[in-house]
Formats: sequence, C-alpha cells, structure tokens
Amino acid sequence: MVAADAGTESVLAIEAIPGATGAAPSRRTGLGALFWVCAGWVALMALLAILAGVLPLKAPNFQDYSAVNVGPSVHHLLGTDDLGRDLLARIIYGSRVSLVIGFAPVAIGLAVGGSLGLLAGYRGGVADSLLNALSFVILAFPALLAIMVIERFWQPISLLKLIVLFAIVAAPQLFRVMRATTLSYAGREFVVAARATGATTRRILLRELLPNTLPAAASFALIGVAIAIVLEGALAFLGLSVSLPTSSLGNIINAGVNNDNLTLNPYIALWPSLYIFLLLTALNLMADRLRSYFDIREVKL
Amino acid sequence: MIRYVGTRLLQLVVICFLISVAAFLLVHLLPGDPTLAILGPNDTPSARATLLKQLGLNHSLVVQYWTWVKNIFHGNLGVSFLTKQTVSNALSVAVPIDLELVIVSQVIALVVAVPLALVAALRPNKAFDRVATTTTFGFLSLPTFVAGPLLVLLFAVELHAVPATGFVRLSQSFGSNLKSVILPSVTLAIGSIAVYYRLLRADLISTLQEDFVTMARAKGLSTPYIMLRHVLRPSSFSLLAGAGISIGTLFTGAFVVEVLFQLPGIGYQLVQAIYARDYLVVQGMALVAAVAFVVVNFGVDFLLTLLDPRVRRG
Amino acid sequence: MSLRRRPQLSFPDVASLEGPLLEVEDLHTSFRTARGVVRAVDGVSFTLARGRTLGVVGESGSGKTVLGRSIMGLLPGANVERSGTVRFSGHDLTAMSLAELREVWGMQVAMVFQDPMTALNPVVRVGRQITESLRLRAGLDRKGAQETAVALMQSVGIPDPVRRLRSYPHELSGGMRQRVMIAISLACGPKLLLADEPTTGLDVTVQAQILDLLATQQRERHMGMILVTHDLGVVANRTDDIAVMYAGRIVERAPTVELFAHTRMPYTEALMRSIPRIADPSHTRLRAIPGRPPDLAAEAQGCRFAPRCPYVQDRCRAEEPPLRTAGQDHVFRCWYPVGSPEGADALARNVTAMVPAALAFTGTRVRDVAVAPDGARAPA
Repeated sequence: MVAADAGTESVLAIEAIPGATGAAPSRRTGLGALFWVCAGWVALMALLAILAGVLPLKAPNFQDYSAVNVGPSVHHLLGTDDLGRDLLARIIYGSRVSLVIGFAPVAIGLAVGGSLGLLAGYRGGVADSLLNALSFVILAFPALLAIMVIERFWQPISLLKLIVLFAIVAAPQLFRVMRATTLSYAGREFVVAARATGATTRRILLRELLPNTLPAAASFALIGVAIAIVLEGALAFLGLSVSLPTSSLGNIINAGVNNDNLTLNPYIALWPSLYIFLLLTALNLMADRLRSYFDIREVKL
Repeated sequence: MIRYVGTRLLQLVVICFLISVAAFLLVHLLPGDPTLAILGPNDTPSARATLLKQLGLNHSLVVQYWTWVKNIFHGNLGVSFLTKQTVSNALSVAVPIDLELVIVSQVIALVVAVPLALVAALRPNKAFDRVATTTTFGFLSLPTFVAGPLLVLLFAVELHAVPATGFVRLSQSFGSNLKSVILPSVTLAIGSIAVYYRLLRADLISTLQEDFVTMARAKGLSTPYIMLRHVLRPSSFSLLAGAGISIGTLFTGAFVVEVLFQLPGIGYQLVQAIYARDYLVVQGMALVAAVAFVVVNFGVDFLLTLLDPRVRRG
Repeated sequence: MSLRRRPQLSFPDVASLEGPLLEVEDLHTSFRTARGVVRAVDGVSFTLARGRTLGVVGESGSGKTVLGRSIMGLLPGANVERSGTVRFSGHDLTAMSLAELREVWGMQVAMVFQDPMTALNPVVRVGRQITESLRLRAGLDRKGAQETAVALMQSVGIPDPVRRLRSYPHELSGGMRQRVMIAISLACGPKLLLADEPTTGLDVTVQAQILDLLATQQRERHMGMILVTHDLGVVANRTDDIAVMYAGRIVERAPTVELFAHTRMPYTEALMRSIPRIADPSHTRLRAIPGRPPDLAAEAQGCRFAPRCPYVQDRCRAEEPPLRTAGQDHVFRCWYPVGSPEGADALARNVTAMVPAALAFTGTRVRDVAVAPDGARAPA
C-alpha cells in the first residue's frame, strides 16, 4: 500500500501487481567467442607481418632455380613459385603492404575525418556545411579510378603516396559516419546536462561524445579496412600498386594468373587468395558483430 | 519535389564539371613535357610542334580546356597514340562490353539471390537459412581478383568448360559470346549476390511479420503465392538499395575482371593506356568512366529517395 | 495463378448440420519467450451453434486475440504450443495438417482483423485483395470474380464500388477499409466469422454501422460469429452469448441478457461498472478497474483476478475457483460471487480491512492511510 496525500480529497494509489514487469533479457554476453577469434587472427597476421624480418623465413625474393614450382614440402612450407621463390615468405612479406594499406589510411581517416565529423556534428554551422559538401564531392568520384589515374601520374609510387591517396578517400567516409553518429547523440540529455554544468566544448567532445560515437564508428572503420585491402589488391593485380621488390598480395595473385601459371602451379594464386579470404572474413565478421552489438544498445537506450 | 530534383541535378552538373577539369588537368600538370613522353624516340622539333598544336598546348590553360570541352560535345575525344584509332572508336568497342558485363552479372546475381532470400526468410535461422547466409557472407570476402582466378582455375583450366580469356562479340556468335562472358559475369556477380541476399532477406523477414501476411494466410492462399505476390513487392526496395551499394564494387570489380579475362572494356583499355602513357586515351576514358559512375550513382540515389516506402505517396 | 485444388475435405451444407458449428474443448496456447512460457490461452471451452453470435470480452493481455487465432490455427510455427480440441462442423481443426487447414481458411472459417491499415497490403489494390480469394479459392474466372467483388462491396455499403476496386488501402477512410476487410472475409461464403476487435479505432457512429453490417451479414448468411472485443458496450446488444476472458481463461460465460441481469464474477461486474453511462451526472469520475492485467508468463496460484478484486479473500489467493454453474448456460469462476451472501460479506470485510480494491469499488474516501512496507510501487 502506498501513502495517499493528506488532503481533503485523496485517492488511493493501488499496489502494483507483483511480477507484472518481467526483467528484459540480459545482453551482457559480450562480443562473443567468434569475435575474439577473428580479432586474434587479425592480430596474428599483423604480428607475422611486423616480425617478418626476424622470423626464420626464406628470403622472399631469392630465386632458387633448383626449386622452381615445387609444391608444399618440408623446405618450402607453401611451395615455390615459377621463379623458385618461397611462397610462404612472399606471402608474409606481401601481407605487410596489404595490412599497412588496410589500416594506416583508415587510422588517418578516422583521426582526421572522424574528429572533423565529431566537431562538425556537434557545432554545425558554416564549417559543417562546407565540410559536408567537400566530403560529398570526394565521395562522388569512383575511388579506384581516381587513385589509379592519380598515382600513375604521380610517379614514382611509394607506399606513403598510396597511403595518402587512400586516406583522402577514407576520410570523407569516416567524416560522414562520425558526423551522423554525433548528430544523433548531440541532442541527448547527457550532453545538455554536461553543457549546463559549464563543461567546455572540448570536454564535452572528449568525455561525453567520443566514448559513445567511437564504438559505432568502429564497425565502419573495420569495413573500411576491408575495402582498403580489396582496393589495394585490385590495384596490385592491375600492376598499379607499389612496385616490386615489395610485392603485395595482389601482385602475387597476378603473377599466379599470368604465364600459364594457373595450369602449371596454381599454388601461386591459391595461397594469397586464401590469405586474403581469411583476413577479409575475419574483418567482416568483426565489423558485423560490432554493429549488432552496438545496435542493441541503441535500442535499449 | 521539384526543388529536390533541381538540387540534385545541379550537384550532378557540378561534379561532372569537376571531373572534366580533373581529367583535363591530368595531362597538363604532368611533370615534364608531355610531348616528350608521347613522342618517345620520334622526338623531332617539327613533330613536337605539330603535337603541341594538336594538343592545343600553345594556348592558355582556360582556352585549352574550353576547346577540349567543345570537342567532346562534338564527339571528338582525341586520338590514341598507340592504336591510332579515335578514342570514340575505342569507346564504341568498350562500352557494349561493359554494358553486357553489368547486365549479365546483375541478372545472375538477382536470379541467385532472390530465390535464396525468399526461401531463407520463410524459415529464419533454420538449416537452409544458416547455410545460405554463411555462404553469402563468405562471398563478401571474395573480391574479384581472388574469385576470378579461382573460377578460372576451376572452370577453364580443370574443366575446360569455358575459355579463360578473350571476348567474342554478340554480333558474331551468341554461343561463343555467352561463353566468353559467363565466367567474368559470375565473378562480378559474387559480390552483388552477397549484398542483395542480405538486404532482401532482412527486408522479407520484417515484412513477414506484418499483419497483412497473416491476413493473406487466413484467406487460405498458398505460401508461394503469398511470397511472390504479397511479400516480395513491399520488400523489393531493398534490392534497389543493394544496387546502390554494389555500384562501387562493380566498378572496381569490372576493371579487374576485364584485365583478368582480357575483355577490351573501358577498364582494360584504360589500364593499357595508363601503361603506355597514352594520355589522350586515359583522359577520355577516365572522363567517360567517371561521368558514367557519377550519373548512375545519382540516378540510383534519386530513385531510392523517390521510391522510399516510408514516404507514402498517392 | 494456380489452378484451384480439389478440396480434400467436405463440409456439409450448414442447414443440414446437426450439432454445434464450433466446439472448443480445453484449448491451451502458450508461447516460449525469453521471459519464460506465456500461457496466453489457458483452458478455454465453449460451443457455438450456427446462426448465433458469441462475444468474447477481455482487457488487452487477456488472451482474446490469441484465442481467435488459435481456434483457426493461424499461429506462428516456432515456439508455440497448442493443446485441446477445436471441432468445426464435425472436423477436428487441431488435428489437421497445414494443407487441410488452408482449405478451411477463407472458405469455411474467416477472420476479420483488428486494424485494416496493417491488415491490408498497402501496395496491392483493394480490388485484388478481394478477388484473389475468389479466383484462387472459389475458382471464379476474372470476370466473375470482378462482378462478385463489386456485389460484395455494395453489400457492405461501399459507394462507387467499381472505382474503388482500383484504390489502394491508404486512399480509403478507416470505416471504408474496415468494410473492405469484411467484404474480403465474406467473399467465399464462410460459415463461421471471427471478428477480432472490428471496431477499435473507428468513430463511434462508424462503429455502430460496422456492427450493424456484421449483424446483417450474419443473419443473411446464417453464419456463426465470434465477436472479440475489450468493449463490453459493443457486445451488449449484438450478441447471443458473452464469454468474459481474464488471464487466458474464461471467467464467466452466459447468454447476454442473463449476464447483464445476474452477473456473478466480480471482474465482469467491474467491467460493467466501468462503462460510462449517459445518464450519469456530468463530472462523474470514471470507475476504472485498479491495477494491471497479470503477467501471463508468471506461475499462477489461486484466482488470477485476486490482486484487483474487491471481494478477495484468502481462499481466492490459495485456490483457483473452478467453473461453476448458475442457472441455464451460465458458468462462472468465483468463490465469493457477486450478488451472493458470501460475496457481500467478503466485500464488507474488505472495506473494513481497507483493501484498496474494495475501497475503490465502494467509493469510500480515506484520509491518512499508512504506508505498507512491502515496497510495491504504484503503477504509472
């Protein structure tokens, strides 16, 4: 029973029916085993790439003419290619380019585009409209074409130049995402409350908005990494990526297709394909899981 | 409504303008004298002078741009130094190939994705759905330069079912044309299947919760009829959205597929021109490709806004 | 599209039917949810004769909508359990396969859904939503179906039917849409009509029109009809019998006149009292039933209405009352029924003990009531 107000006219409040509200099913199951397996895989690949120099690998460019087109064996775990080069070493060294081109531009894009998006979403105004228009223009161009043509004429191609070009393409996307997420959060009460207590813009951005928007953007960022890897792979396949001797995975697949290699030694194309497949699958699974995890949280709010 | 169309058209025009400027500047901002690179060993002062005039490089940049644009509208995109053909000629060969690739690949993608999604949505999370969803998810991890070689390995090398490379025109032979186009189209379709399946399945599942589906059941209508005549229509918007998402990947993929299968489409010719430093071809092809991309993107975007089912129109 | 399949079952002509049109025996329907098993229909039994109307009344959450769908067999496939028997025209619906049920749906048993805006496909023209049953189930050809559809629309009172055939649902008014729904349900001449809240959301005048329409159609076609609603006023004059549902069970069932004259179950009484009357003086406070419907997932002990009942006693909380008979065709569930000496006693005791439901029921005003320490919060 609940107290009624002491007044001349009072109406009794009625007790609630016990058990009328069931507890909502708990979603505190975390990101799931699959997510962490994928994350572990990606981390492992990254580790291998970073430590390539110190690992007991054969030299990736050493052409051993006595061991041409050898299949997987004790000496060459993944076999050799048509010039006698060890495939395992080539793939690990090749993965360096793919991974760097995958992660670096997205990291830069997130830092630059993401923070701009955070600011623009929060502040709005002229700057916001300008940046929005700019991102719109950049995003309207077909990325592959632009990169292809630009970098071909901006010789010689280096890893750094490619990273810059990719970052230019990635930044507007991440700008968009961060801006949209920020916009959806900026009107919420906890932001208004923070402002009411006299917090500076900087503080609000860092303490209130960033922790909420970053996870949502993380899913997009991972997809961006996957896209960047594919883009670089396509470029390399077309022979328009960083040139040898640092062959990237796309180059290796290209080599695997030319000169009748598909018939003679399909392994050249097969192994890097498998590598890319596993890497992309891991990234996609992680991105998917992140998205559904944070979507649920959104709904509960 | 009109205002919206107007704004979009304006944006389109602006972007196309920017593209043309960019394409133009490509040639003219190159380090070094383009004529040297073009002429190569045939570099004589008279040849250079002719070339300069031809390229219009003796005028101011703005005039050059204007001449170039005017030429485009007259259908003159320049001449390839490699093949001595006009760029327009090259395009007339390339465009039908690309069109066929896109059409065939999207048809394949729809023919595969739509029935799969229809069946999967009927029994979500059961065996069929799990298998289909997992498989198509795997497709997302098969970019064209990975899937292509694998398919070639399987069908062309091992099974000898289709040729690995080369293109036979439709006008020459229907059968051979189909054979030369099927593998590249399937390669391209893989990415689209994944996108279409996912979006359509989600849309179908949510439409199936609607009351009007229960009502249709209560009328005793059969499940195939309900799926095809009542559920598919409201859910097909997601296919259009999927098309919008696929455009980017299709574009990238087409380039790869053309090079891999040696189909002389825009991508293939562009790549060749880039290697050969055939600047005018690069300029012209890049312009056409970029404009096509932008126009299609805008078009799909526009259709999406127009047909959005959340906006109910009379 | 497809040819009409030969029906595997035969349904005798209604006129020659012996025995009730519909017999529901101990029907249970439960759903497996994340919160546990929700027993939406918890042992419902009744019979319906041809040509008669049964009103099923209950609050939202009483299980009345699920009852309708369960009788028809229109439940989702997964996580649903149904037990009990439903016999229609001598055939056991609960034992039928999906294919056999599809023969029944639309042709023999039809349902009018609650919200025509969601129950009609928004991207399909209204005409086709009527003619598709006619063509696919009744085997009419295009022209025949068209003509029949026009006739149907006329009979449900839709003006300018030929033009309306080509309209989309959102182009019609609420009342018009509901008429279309009724036309669709009547299209194949069913013998039993299940109307699930057919008037909710409509203007009061339109409500009356729709109900009259249903009554007329039922008379003309000699159908059995079940009218499911939360509004006792709707069924007051238009049904032969009324069944009151609470927490998935029938708590009282009687012929309409008898129900209003000799209400037994306190819940029914509370429902009746909550109907505002024109004769009441202005500013009369609405007498709502305090509290909320019970959680159907929770384990039940005793009478489920006990927490809100003005007559509640200890026995009610411990033992669930069985269905008892009072006069012809009148069953109810209560230990201390309305109008009985035990009931009056119980109520008086409760008022003295200051049970809130009893106080609200009798309109007793209270000052300075103490707070109970059990921590239960008042509903919003």
